[in-house]
Amino acid sequence: MQTDVEFLLNGKKVTGAAEPRTHLADFIREDALASGTHIGCEQGVCGACTVFVDGRPTRSCITLAAACNGADIRTVEGFDTDPLMEAIRDSFKRHHGLQCGFCTPGMLTTAYDIIRRIPDADRETIRKELSGNLCRCTGYAGIVDAIEDVLKEAPAAALQPTERPRSAISATSAAPKAAEISDSKQAPSPETVIVADMALPAADSFETATVLRKTMHLSAGPEEAWRLISSPEAIVSCIPGATLSGPVTNGIANGACNVSAGPIKAQFRGTASITYLPETKSGQLLGRGKDGLSRSGLEGRLDFQLVPNDNASDINLEMRYRLNGPLSQFGRPALVEEIANGLLADIAQAIDATLSGNDATAGRTQPQRSLSGFRLLFNAFKGLIRRTLSTR
Amino acid sequence: MKPVDFSYLNAMNLEQAENALAGQSCSIVSGNQSLGPMMNLRLARPGVLLDVSRVEELRRAEETDTEVRFGAAVTHAEIEDGTVPDPTGGWMRAAASNIAHRAVRNRGTIGGSLCHADPAADWVTVLPALSAQISIAGPDGVRKVDAIDFVVGPYATVLAPGEIVVSVAVPKPSAAARWGYWKFVRQVGEFSKASAAILDDPDTGRSRVIVGALGRQPLLIDKPDDVIAGRIDGKAALSHALPDMPACAVRMHAVAIDRAIEQMAGSPE
Repeated sequence: MQTDVEFLLNGKKVTGAAEPRTHLADFIREDALASGTHIGCEQGVCGACTVFVDGRPTRSCITLAAACNGADIRTVEGFDTDPLMEAIRDSFKRHHGLQCGFCTPGMLTTAYDIIRRIPDADRETIRKELSGNLCRCTGYAGIVDAIEDVLKEAPAAALQPTERPRSAISATSAAPKAAEISDSKQAPSPETVIVADMALPAADSFETATVLRKTMHLSAGPEEAWRLISSPEAIVSCIPGATLSGPVTNGIANGACNVSAGPIKAQFRGTASITYLPETKSGQLLGRGKDGLSRSGLEGRLDFQLVPNDNASDINLEMRYRLNGPLSQFGRPALVEEIANGLLADIAQAIDATLSGNDATAGRTQPQRSLSGFRLLFNAFKGLIRRTLSTR
Repeated sequence: MKPVDFSYLNAMNLEQAENALAGQSCSIVSGNQSLGPMMNLRLARPGVLLDVSRVEELRRAEETDTEVRFGAAVTHAEIEDGTVPDPTGGWMRAAASNIAHRAVRNRGTIGGSLCHADPAADWVTVLPALSAQISIAGPDGVRKVDAIDFVVGPYATVLAPGEIVVSVAVPKPSAAARWGYWKFVRQVGEFSKASAAILDDPDTGRSRVIVGALGRQPLLIDKPDDVIAGRIDGKAALSHALPDMPACAVRMHAVAIDRAIEQMAGSPE
């Protein structure tokens, strides 16, 4: 599906069709062929793609082209005769405010905004305001000097923030009626690629990994609980979102686990192994999984031990994990721990329900669960647990 | 990377947005500054995106004698610049000015940040401390939820499918009220590692101590007056509320409470 895009780019009207997912930076570069806007990280961190949208600095890599209908967009090419930008360019040159030039379009845009918005900015303020633009070669001293220099006697800024008139919205971007909505594309289906067995990480490779320790309480006694835990298929059925892709052979399981936390959705596919030590009612799970679409990886080791607690039992868990790829950027330890807590509570509840003969889903009462907010890493871990448990 | 393909709907008024939500399940987006990176990294793969950044009703801020009601799509920069009224006489402006970076603040919105519900986000911590109330429109009309009850976990809120946050009402504190908001960041613009927001407002009875960036939903501390007066120290209050919290986290968040109290003591009313 394509959507119509129409806006002013450096004073000239630009029209075109774009996929809704096309971000503004790509549209400017690939469709409008204005390559002065640079794309660095493409995730809103480096600031290289910063352009003016309606007179306000904006990250064009995380702004959709379709969201800019009717906008007035100014890129680094659009300042040839702007006295303030002329002064900034000159000052960058004199103060060695650039070397390779990759960050420069974003730096110039941000510099313009700082000078316009904070005419009395001192060096500290300039640095704070510049902190969203990364430079990897000159260092920032020259850039800060350049801005400070212009601030001494800055020409008036010709470009000012404007409110985009609502009437400027082209008809194509009007909200659809219900009938059109029902025709809209559904969420893409998960990948159908069958993942080959992945090599397992070494058990001793997690010494420096993040560690989470938890104890889950089970209402069943240790003997009864162990019977369930030592059956890989049974334990997998207690882990929400996880499936085995085939029978467990030679202690190795392959499977998938759907994970979601708020807007984050991932499907980890991978391999795990499990080792049981019946005499101590303990064991170890090792696994590795990958979410193909985001190219995020998770590998971990889970050590578990069942201990009696009156007539019931506790299962002590020690998890070590490493995240890599995009997901690692969102895997702050405090978040992961919280997500793990929710997940483990679910698993414990499902184990209890299974052992007492109830529907594993019937006993869930926590409101957070119904929002499915906690599946992220722990689903992955569940996946590992299931797989491991099923790999005897 | 580029996002996975999706359908895009753009609402200009609330009715259009509600119709779109009634039709099918949509991910609501405004500034796209939090969802955008996740989509570019393909960690978020919405099938349908409903853009409400230009919805007329969500772009307003209305001031009354007792409160300011911010439309959900009012941007951080508009709050920072004072383009919309600040019911707190500058505290919200200051908080807004330290959210991420200016280019992000130009697009990111107060309602979007709340709904994204990152536990370390600024409004997620600040708004409960100010006793804000969230108005949510849904198929059955409008309901109101206290900000402290809105976020229920990491990236999780009380929003049901088909619901949309319309506005955030922030009551005006009394003239004698004091405020402190401190967050621990190692570099400007990153998500905080610990934070605390404190309102001392005996005249209205709305004194509150909120601890944020815990990984979970914001924590409302018991007996805020005792914490503010120093009769209960931050560590004790945190350990009491969250007994399983690791010692280093207790310490970091206790420092956030202390700094917020210091800030409050030093700030002119």
